[in-house]
Amino acid sequence: MSSARPLITFQGSQNFRIRIVLATLSGKSIKIEKIRSNDLNPGLRDHEISFLRLIESVTNGSHIEISYTGTTVIYKPGIIVGGSHTHNCPPSRAVGYFIEPMLYLAPFSKKKFSIIFRGITASHNDAGVEAIKWGLLPVLEKFGVRECALHTLKRGSPPLGGGEVHLIVDSLIAQPLTMHELERPPIKSIRGVAYSTRVSPSLVNRMIDGSRNVLKDINCEVNITADVWRGENSGKSPGWGITLVGETKKGWCFFSELIGDAGDIPENIGMQVAYHFIEEISKSAAVGRNQLPLAIVYMVIGKEDIGRLRITKEQIDENFIHLLRDVKKIFGIEVFLKPVDDLDNNEDFIVTIKGVGFHNSNKKIA
Amino acid sequence: LNSKIKRQRKWDIGKLIYMDNLSPEECIKRWRGEAEEDEDYISNIENDDEEEEELFKKKDVASPDNHLGDLEKFVPFFDTFEKLVQKWSSLKNIQDHFINAPKLNSDDA
Repeated sequence: MSSARPLITFQGSQNFRIRIVLATLSGKSIKIEKIRSNDLNPGLRDHEISFLRLIESVTNGSHIEISYTGTTVIYKPGIIVGGSHTHNCPPSRAVGYFIEPMLYLAPFSKKKFSIIFRGITASHNDAGVEAIKWGLLPVLEKFGVRECALHTLKRGSPPLGGGEVHLIVDSLIAQPLTMHELERPPIKSIRGVAYSTRVSPSLVNRMIDGSRNVLKDINCEVNITADVWRGENSGKSPGWGITLVGETKKGWCFFSELIGDAGDIPENIGMQVAYHFIEEISKSAAVGRNQLPLAIVYMVIGKEDIGRLRITKEQIDENFIHLLRDVKKIFGIEVFLKPVDDLDNNEDFIVTIKGVGFHNSNKKIA
Repeated sequence: LNSKIKRQRKWDIGKLIYMDNLSPEECIKRWRGEAEEDEDYISNIENDDEEEEELFKKKDVASPDNHLGDLEKFVPFFDTFEKLVQKWSSLKNIQDHFINAPKLNSDDA
């Protein structure tokens, strides 16, 4: 917050949201330069600008400077205040792109978060509504953020969107709990939702059939709900998709999701999502690849205590390294990876992180 | 060849992650023992690693100088449908991730 402190400088456009989020949590100013400087269309994209606007509206005192060409951003974070807002998401990205980073900030806010996001609710790149509701919120729960909900008011398929979702985070906590997960929790049941907007409901059942065909051999309870949206609330475009969630007894969830395009065969999408689901489980220990950043960041900002999380070898990829380097740059802590020496499985690692002792600045210390 | 494997196994991922002079792609490659000069070596090792190799190739194509790969995709990378079908033609390997239901309907499965 003090301008005397030197800026932490990043280069490139990757991990944009995480960098802004980490800066906000740490209260340190950052500078991101060379954003697509070699691109024909250099600088920030409209969804990134939109994301910065969203950050501005949920914080107080943030200062954002964007260079003339848009290739450099200086961000001086304020405090997280939250409150009620409506955010209109640009058509280039789905609402998941904007909701995801909010999950990192919302519990540490001054007022409760209640944000309505308007736009596309499903896409090939971003988290869908079910993925957030059943995939990411359970991760938050593990860290003590229990009163969190995402309501789908309207669905909006790409390209025109017209959806509306409401994110409510009621639990405001001082700091996340320290979490230990040293096992691979087994899955007790598979749930799912297949939805459709402005297309025949038969597509939904065909997707469900496709998935069930693949999953029946697993010999696990499979329960996929059909969710057909009609009329006003089904957005402006036809669309359909499916999300599968594997629930464990411990509360961890694995999930995969897919949406159908024009010309896709619903049975195939159903089968494909089932195979993705199986593949993701085979590559996951306690969290899936798309839940990992959330879990890591919450461990980093935890109490000054050691948290542990089991991950697999496959989960250590470029994204993971990018994340850990960004974490180190901003919080100055390193993550320690310890190989697991189980008899049956020695490919896994335990990520050990000592929290930075982050404290919600809006909460009085008890 | 053996000595080669041993030498490459020595990379400690915990250290590699924070070696800022290496790009994350290189870190992963070194760690998995897939350094560029070992093309023939790669083909010797198990299928699993070959898949990984492909994964990188695809990503490299998608991000020549890291400005196209910056979509911040939420959905992780998956192999093509056909490959996954092949890989999971038998679900035996994944069974231990699930708590199996009692086999009531085993005859109609």
